[in-house]
Amino acid sequence: MNTEAGRQARFNQLAEDYGTDLYRYAMWICGNDALAKDLVQETYLRAWKALDKLQDVKAAKSWLITILRREYARTFERKVPKFTDVENVVVADDSELEPDDRTEIRLLRQSIMKLAPKYREPLLLQVVMGHSCKEISEQLGISKSAVMTQLFRAREQLKANVQKDGVTGNVHGLF
Amino acid sequence: MSMDFSEFLRRLGADPGNRDPEFLHARKSDLEFEQAAATAEAFEARLERAADLPAPEGLLDDILKISRDDASVASPVSGWRTRGWRPMALAASILIAVGAAGISWNMNRGWDSVDQYLAEHYHHDGDALIARSGVQAIGDVQALFARFSVEVTPQLAQIISVIKYCPTPDGKGIHMVLNTEEGPVTLIYMPETDVNDHEFLEFGGMKAMLVGLEKGSAAIIGTRSQSISSLYSFVHDSIVLAVNNA
Repeated sequence: MNTEAGRQARFNQLAEDYGTDLYRYAMWICGNDALAKDLVQETYLRAWKALDKLQDVKAAKSWLITILRREYARTFERKVPKFTDVENVVVADDSELEPDDRTEIRLLRQSIMKLAPKYREPLLLQVVMGHSCKEISEQLGISKSAVMTQLFRAREQLKANVQKDGVTGNVHGLF
Repeated sequence: MSMDFSEFLRRLGADPGNRDPEFLHARKSDLEFEQAAATAEAFEARLERAADLPAPEGLLDDILKISRDDASVASPVSGWRTRGWRPMALAASILIAVGAAGISWNMNRGWDSVDQYLAEHYHHDGDALIARSGVQAIGDVQALFARFSVEVTPQLAQIISVIKYCPTPDGKGIHMVLNTEEGPVTLIYMPETDVNDHEFLEFGGMKAMLVGLEKGSAAIIGTRSQSISSLYSFVHDSIVLAVNNA
């Protein structure tokens, strides 16, 4: 499909397939709703303009993530600001949950944000974007073994943080 | 040789959904392995639920709008997108709507915050200036900025399509419309105002990103479907102390 309509259809498919997950991923790495939306917009704008370079549709997800990560780095090439509105954004959808579930999710989300980027990013590539260890290794440019170590440590830290905080948060039987 | 428990836990912790035959075989081989895997799966379900943030309403529409609005553009992107072809950049007459401070709008209204100022100021004439973008020639951009002891790079100067003095929370500043491939983007320079660098604001269907500068600050204002964060570095590097003041 090389027609303009075909090109647009391909783009629309990319938007429908990955737009929401990319936003979630962006939100987790930058911690700010408006910036996350902006990063996704910029990612898709660049994707639209370079769409003809995408030969293999199976590579689309990694391609989009690469663009988004690059945009994020470009935006903050001098320094990365600390946003403080993450918690407000990430707990805003919990109204339908039971109180214990809400507490558990809140603790987990706080713990995810506390993770060092080198642990948080591979974990979110796996959990949010559904990447395999091999794909994460290619995306981050590190060995598969290093990815596995970081993922293992990320989960261990999450469990430890939530267990520690869960004592005061009154979360029972979380693990 | 079968996998030992510590190796099993390592792989489990790295990838609870592991479908590797060796891993699956090890899981079924011992009750302890099976219990560890079940516990990990339960945690994973909770983790996935926690990571599943709600997507903002209209996100998909905003993305789809990109291709609809830009369907005629197919060239690859290189660096930040500007329309360097604008011939008017250094045109003669300074047609600055400076009636200046003059404009009937009050200069120092005492805004409580930059957020409030930007929302009110943009509401006042933001759309009108966007509409004027490209219609009139602009003149000596540097002369305007020199008033505040700063200068702008030629890269910024050449994409300014509207420019005027305007009030800011701390005195006079400059309101500009930049001509970008994404369409017109508003830039407000506030020479005496400190802001939270990188902060994002939203108001009246618009979004703004604040930029701390060598002298003062700026706000980049765009629509929801425009990416403004990509302009951060460009703006940051484009309004600098004038050489004789640096």
